[in-house]
Formats: sequence, C-alpha cells, structure tokens
Amino acid sequence: MLGDARSGKLPENLLGFGRMLRRAGLPIDSSRMTLAVRAVELVGVERRGDLKAALEAVLVSRSQDREVFDQLFEALFRNPELAKQLMSQLLPKAQGQTPPTARKPRAQEALTVPPPPSAHQKRAQEHEVKWDAAMSMGGGERLKNADFSSLSASELKLVEQLVRRIPMQMPTTQSRRSRAGGRGGRLDWPGSTQQAMTCGGEWVDLRWRQRRRVPLPLLLLVDISGSMERYARLLLAFLHHATADVPRAVYCFGSRLSDLNEAFRLRDADLMFEQANVIIRDYASGTRLAASLETLREQHRRQLVGRRTVVLMVTDGLDMGRPERLERELDWLKAQTRRILWLNPLLRYEGYEPLAAGAQVLSKKVHASLPIHNLTHLEALAGSIQRLMRQA
Amino acid sequence: MGYFADRRLATAVFLALKLGRPLLLEGDPGVGKTELAKALSQLLGRELIRLQCYDGLELREALYEWNHAAQLIHMRAAQNRASSEELEKEVYQAKYLVRRPLLRAIETPRPGAVLLIDEVDRADEPFEAFLLEYLGEYQVTIPELGTIRARATPLTLLTSNRTRDLNEAVKRRCLFHWLDFPDRDRELTILNSKVPEAPEGLTEQVALFVSRLRSQPFADAFQRRPGLAESVEWAKALVALDTLVLDPEVVQTTAGVLFKHREDVAALTPMLDKLLAPEPAH
Repeated sequence: MLGDARSGKLPENLLGFGRMLRRAGLPIDSSRMTLAVRAVELVGVERRGDLKAALEAVLVSRSQDREVFDQLFEALFRNPELAKQLMSQLLPKAQGQTPPTARKPRAQEALTVPPPPSAHQKRAQEHEVKWDAAMSMGGGERLKNADFSSLSASELKLVEQLVRRIPMQMPTTQSRRSRAGGRGGRLDWPGSTQQAMTCGGEWVDLRWRQRRRVPLPLLLLVDISGSMERYARLLLAFLHHATADVPRAVYCFGSRLSDLNEAFRLRDADLMFEQANVIIRDYASGTRLAASLETLREQHRRQLVGRRTVVLMVTDGLDMGRPERLERELDWLKAQTRRILWLNPLLRYEGYEPLAAGAQVLSKKVHASLPIHNLTHLEALAGSIQRLMRQA
Repeated sequence: MGYFADRRLATAVFLALKLGRPLLLEGDPGVGKTELAKALSQLLGRELIRLQCYDGLELREALYEWNHAAQLIHMRAAQNRASSEELEKEVYQAKYLVRRPLLRAIETPRPGAVLLIDEVDRADEPFEAFLLEYLGEYQVTIPELGTIRARATPLTLLTSNRTRDLNEAVKRRCLFHWLDFPDRDRELTILNSKVPEAPEGLTEQVALFVSRLRSQPFADAFQRRPGLAESVEWAKALVALDTLVLDPEVVQTTAGVLFKHREDVAALTPMLDKLLAPEPAH
C-alpha cells in the first residue's frame, strides 16, 4: 500500500496508516502526519528499512508504542492483500474478515472495525462478597474482571463533599525552585537590580526569594481482593478525587498487580471506572501482596522518585505468600521511598491464623499504620486517610 | 568517529537535520545516547554545547543570567549623569548578559551548534514547559531584550532515561528514537575500536557474554542490565589484568565493573557456567 508512493497516492496512504496508528492509541495529530509525508519524501520509499525508520522517528513518541507500530507496519508492508482488506475495512460499510491473531491486543483492535458505540454495554450489578474465595487461593487463580458501576449522582456528591470537608494535608517538601517574596533566604538579584533602577541606582530595598514547597509524589497501593471487594469502588473514587492535584502513581492488587495510572489520569470518575474495569483482571481474588510488590519492583520501579515517594497502602494484609518474601519486598520498598503508610481495615476473620503473618510483617515494616474498625462509612475511611497523611 | 550507528538511527538523525526538528533519544543507560551527540559534533564540525539537566534547573542556569556585579558597577558610575530611563537602557545591555547553553546554541553562527540537553527527565516539569519555545521555534525571549531567534538551526538532541514520562507537548515537537542495546556483531565492532589493545579472542568472548547477559533467561535476574559503556569498561579492565580468556574467577573479580548492585553481583555467580559456555557449533 505504501509502495504506491510514486504514483502520487503517498499522502493518502500515509493518512490511512496514521489513522490506524491513532486507533491503536498512538498520539498522532495532523502536524505529525504532515511531518511524516515530508519525511517520506526525504527518505524515499525504495528501501523498506529506511522508510520504516523514518516513519518510526516521526510517528512514534513513546517506547511502549514501538511494538504496535512494528506490527502494523509489517502487516501493511508484508501482505498487500491484507492491506487491501484493511483499507476496505476502514470504509464504514465494508464487513471484512478479522485478520489473524497473535498480535498485540491494541494492534489487533486497530486493525479491526471498531464496534458501534451501542454495542458497549455497562453492567451494573452488585456482587456478593465472596469470603470463601478470598480466604483460599485454592488450585487455580480465580480471574474476574472488575465491574465497578459508575457513580450514582448521590455517591458522586458524597465523594465530592468528603474531599471538600476532609481536606488531605499532603506531605510536602522544599522544592529547589524559589519564588519571589519574604525576607531572608536567597537574595533576588534580578529583582533587586530592577528595584534599584527605580530609585536612581540606589539599592534601597533588597528583594528576596524563598524556596517553594511542593507535594511529595504519592504511590497508592490499593487492595481489591475479595475481602476488600465491597469497599474498593468508593475507596478508588475517593482517592481518585482527593489526590487529583498531587503527582501520584496508582496500582491495585489482588493476586496480581494492575497499573491504574492511565485510568486515574482521566479526570472523570466514571471514565476512570470504565477503564479500571478493563484493566483489573483479578477482582475479588485472593491477596498476593509480596508477588504484587515484586511486580512493582521489576516493572514499575521508575515510578518511585528518588526516595521521595510516600506510599499509601490500603490492605488488610491477608497475604497468602510466605512472610519472608513479603519482608524482603517491603525492605526494598522501604529503601526506595520516604514513608510507607498502611491503612488497615480490620476485616480479618477471627482465628484464621496464617493470615496474620502478612499483617505482622507489615506492621513491623511500615512507618505508620492506622487500623480502622468500621469501614462501612466512606467518611470514616476518609478521616483515617487524612490522619495517616499527617503522620507522613 | 568511533560511533557505529545502525541504519535506523542514521535515518532518524538525517531527518532531524533535514526537517530541523529536535531528536529525543530514549533508551537504557549506557547505550550511547550522549556519545551520539559527541560523535555528531565531530562529524558535522559543529560546536557541542551541553546542558546537563537536574531537578530544579532554572532559567538562569539554562538560558541566561544578568551579570549583576557588572551592572552594579555600571550603575554606580552612571548614577549622577543619567536619568533612570537612560540608566535602565544602559544596564540591560547584551554585554552584561551571561550566556548559558541554550542562548549560546541559538547565537552560534552557521553551521550552528549541536545542543545536547542531557537527561531531560531529571529536570522538573516547569523546565520542560520552558523548553517548549526553544524546541518549537528555536527562539528564546528575554524580557529586557526581546526575542532572540536562532541564527542557524542548532541540531538539538534530548536524552532521557525514562525515570518519568515526558510531557506530550515536548514529545510533539521532537522526533523520537529508541536506542536498543547493539547486537553482538555491532558490539564486537565497537569493542574492537574502543579497546584495540584487547586480544581478539577476548573481545569476542566479552561480546558473547554481555549479549547473553542482556537476553533471556538471564536478563530477568538483574535489576539493571549492563550497557555498552559497561562492556567497554569491562574489556578495558580485563586488558589491564592481562586476561586472555574469560574464566569464572576473573569474571567474579571484575563483576563490579558490569554491575553496580550487590544483588546483581550475587545473582551472577550461579549463572556463570551457562554464560561462559562456548557457543554451540552450527
């Protein structure tokens, strides 16, 4: 398809390719496309490697998109038949075959015709709390997508009210940046010179600069395993709203770690839930805290900013793994961060012994912890988080 | 120039030059991001201007600063003969400007400079926002003097180790290139050129060893995979120790060159036999 460049169809074909990439989630706007056309004119279409490198340099801007780009480019280049089919699929009326699988889901999705919006249905049903499933990891891992329903109007109001009424005091630190004002601190040379100018060159009034305070980055680790199932939704809604102005990284875990950063970047709580439903695959499963922390260490360590991150963990500590392993992972986390705060909703069954091990390790390792006995009200939860934050 | 680029990278650099766009280089530490800028400056005969980013980097360290001491002296000398307006004009002259990397890059006459904005992910977001004017238009604004446009488009390279994601606005203005670890043959070429005194058999062994380290199933065991910079250093260290052939003992004694974490050095030991196994004959 791209081979048609010399017959003058280049911009058109590139545009189709660009649309496809955009559908796969690459941030490509029209100025990028213009640039891509110019780049292809410069490099030519004779050598496929060069063409690919040129398009990649222009159209890709994140390392995680490289694979998707690769697959789409190869699909288009290697198989003109498929490309033709794809082009026809891009037209709204055509009903093409779905291309073979084994591509990245995002690439696959971009290659198929998007379903009409009506096909997307929200399921809004309450789930019973499944205590038994939460307590035993059992034979196989029980996988289940989360099905957070969107917030009802009254819930949204409640969350908003709470955020306003119970303001979080996010821990801050001195930034290296300064602001003009105050007395003492650093002399503001440019400001003082300008001031002197108004007084005929006399340094009458010195200007000063103070260091700014900035919020510390926050790492939220939220338990969504079976025992926390009932609270996860409102808890996420509250955290989403209350920490909106703070640099934050958000993960939730049950039997595995899910990255909620992209979901939390969406301002609207309902859109956030919609995306979280797609991302979370282990909703209401057992808890494997150590394994989740290990994933954090192996795949997301960059989220921890130079020993400044404050970690807020919301979990009952019902870890199914071995306590030594949890201890090791917590040691690592502690070495990388400034503070680990643990909010412990006491949901433990009386007398279930092995479960206490995880909680014991946690209470030994974290900087501050707060148990709450009654997690039925979001208000109690918000208040606890606020109190915990003060200890950071 | 001692830099061995593959065709993908060459194409990206070619486009950056032809389209006049900054090039954002990302990749693991030690794959040659900074080296590329040095090599390009040599190749193109352009001055290399380097701006090392860090948290809290400010305008006065990146762009310009007024020479306050000189301004003060001027003010004193002119105090009695000039009105305040005249004084202001005199004090804010270009000669009292202390030029920092960005301004120097913009003012470099043809053929322009190579500007390396190194580790831009270490700077904070306000600094990124401030870079936008430069990256988009190759111009900067100094309130007292007005807008200064680049005389010749500087070839601008940004590097990032991805300690955090850069702002979309910055990325939109740049071309992007991901630098991978070199394949074994390229690594061998680089080792031969950087450490010519090493015996041939040794460089081959080093290249094989390191490329195995970076690939599965070994790579997952380490917190940080050794980069190209480390393998060059390692080859140098081995030469200094008069090593002719790699053996488990010499690898263990020099592991500190490849790995900078205690855990990684410890993880290396049980794998040594497999890593040092000769290549199966084809």
